[in-house]
Amino acid sequence: MTVGTAPPDAAEGARQPPPQRPQRLRRSAMTVAPIVGLVVVFGIWEFYVRVFDISRLTLPTPTSILVHLVDEPGFYWRHAQVTLYEAALGYGLALGASLIVATFMAHSRFIERASMPVIVLLQSTPVAVLAPVFLIWFGFTYWPKVLVAAVFCYIPFTINEFTGLRSVDPNAYELLRSVSASRVEIFRKLRFPQSLPYLFSAGRLCVGLSLVGAVIGEMFGGSTEGLGNTARVGQTRLLIDQLWGSIFVLACIGVIANLLLAGVETRVLRWHSSQDLPGGSATTL
Amino acid sequence: MPRPIPGGSPTAAPTSSGSPTASIGAPVSIRGVAKWFRTGRSFLHALDGIDIEIQPGEFVSLIGPSGCGKSTLLRVVGGLLPYEQGTVEVDGNSPAQARDTKQIGFAPQTPSLLGWRTVRRNVTLLAEVNRRGAIHPPLGEREILELLETVGLGDFLDRLPKELSGGMQQRVSLVRCFALGAPVLLMDEPFSALDEITRNEMRYLLLDLWERTGHTVIFVTHSIPEAVILSDRVLVMATKPGRVVHAEHIDLPRRRSVAMEDDERYLAHMRSVRRALGEVSAR
Repeated sequence: MTVGTAPPDAAEGARQPPPQRPQRLRRSAMTVAPIVGLVVVFGIWEFYVRVFDISRLTLPTPTSILVHLVDEPGFYWRHAQVTLYEAALGYGLALGASLIVATFMAHSRFIERASMPVIVLLQSTPVAVLAPVFLIWFGFTYWPKVLVAAVFCYIPFTINEFTGLRSVDPNAYELLRSVSASRVEIFRKLRFPQSLPYLFSAGRLCVGLSLVGAVIGEMFGGSTEGLGNTARVGQTRLLIDQLWGSIFVLACIGVIANLLLAGVETRVLRWHSSQDLPGGSATTL
Repeated sequence: MPRPIPGGSPTAAPTSSGSPTASIGAPVSIRGVAKWFRTGRSFLHALDGIDIEIQPGEFVSLIGPSGCGKSTLLRVVGGLLPYEQGTVEVDGNSPAQARDTKQIGFAPQTPSLLGWRTVRRNVTLLAEVNRRGAIHPPLGEREILELLETVGLGDFLDRLPKELSGGMQQRVSLVRCFALGAPVLLMDEPFSALDEITRNEMRYLLLDLWERTGHTVIFVTHSIPEAVILSDRVLVMATKPGRVVHAEHIDLPRRRSVAMEDDERYLAHMRSVRRALGEVSAR
């Protein structure tokens, strides 16, 4: 008699895990999600301007801005190169200076205490006001814009790198001390690699800040080139397409730079728990 | 001031400890060591009159309630903390000299693996620094591979720490400690963060590694079974100030095995250590 026993199929079914969506489908959905987000935002923008008949001077449609960009790619490419150069140089200068300063701060309480007032002072000052000062010092060159971008990035880089260098695992530190590892060895083997997640975190923040710095430098620094200048000219001469075109190009530069940095971060910080988040690096679109 | 230890000199090294045959261990001598910590305006008497003579290749465990100075004593021997009174010698050298010449291997409470280094590169970390100071050569690549295979990590050489379980990480930490080739190993509760099953397994892995190499080991633990099964001698410490109050010479034969945990002698040592700890707690 087989009374009371479950049919073989049912028993088999009970042991199987619940059906899941195929892995590939889920991954594709994750890739498409950011595009969906952008399409929705631009769709609402386009719809709002068209339906409520908003004046072009107040807010042009995204499609009209894109058409304008396609019409004059050379113009924006030329100015984008200038802004990119200024922002990248400022970014690099700030990174280099902060690495040196943070390293000294992390190794000496005296230097840390001596540096803190300067850092707080810089952090509390709206650094955009330094643009005219740099203009007086360096004239109509790249340098006022580069320096504004550098000053914008310097504080996040320094504070994060300093925090990273100081946040060493005390057990690992003691372990290296137990074999009399030198300060340089402890820095190379432990402090610096362990600070990299902090440095990348600042690096992502500073991509946007360096662009802001370069644009502000161009707006206040008597510039005749760069996207800050094209935006300012667009605003004063009511060249609305040029104003919005500059904004679009700046946004694109920021996004591309962030994506590139996220790619580098994913490779360099393969070992770090931040890369275990669904979708990898926190900045990956 | 150093005080005499009740019950004669229980911390003198035993005449025969059943140490492994191919010993590379070095003697450790601790005489009348006292240590104070400054806490605000007052001082905390952390260690008092510690007298311990450890033979080359001996396995000594320190056990006692929290705050009795076990880890402090370990760090004093390792040259990681200064002390105010007495003398400490590692193979005739001061702790600072022993540290500079890489005569001491250290296994901290947590595995403390560097996340960006693979298993293989974590194991060789200590050999890579202060190369000029080392008077004992670190283990070669082949010997390290053998040790990693002994602890079951032969297939994980190029894995990152985040890909390993807690027990596997601790195994890497142990191999790293042995790979330095130092004659004296200091272990500060290396298994405290592990679950009981893994912890039990780790004891015998540690014994396996130690019996192959014959280092002198000072092992801090809170676990009586762990101390008894691993050691040649178990030193029970009391608090306020930290001092050694009882020494249990473990006369179980080498090599030790799980089967010995049912041995009457093992159980008698367990009872004896437990009783000594009970007296310490009752004070």
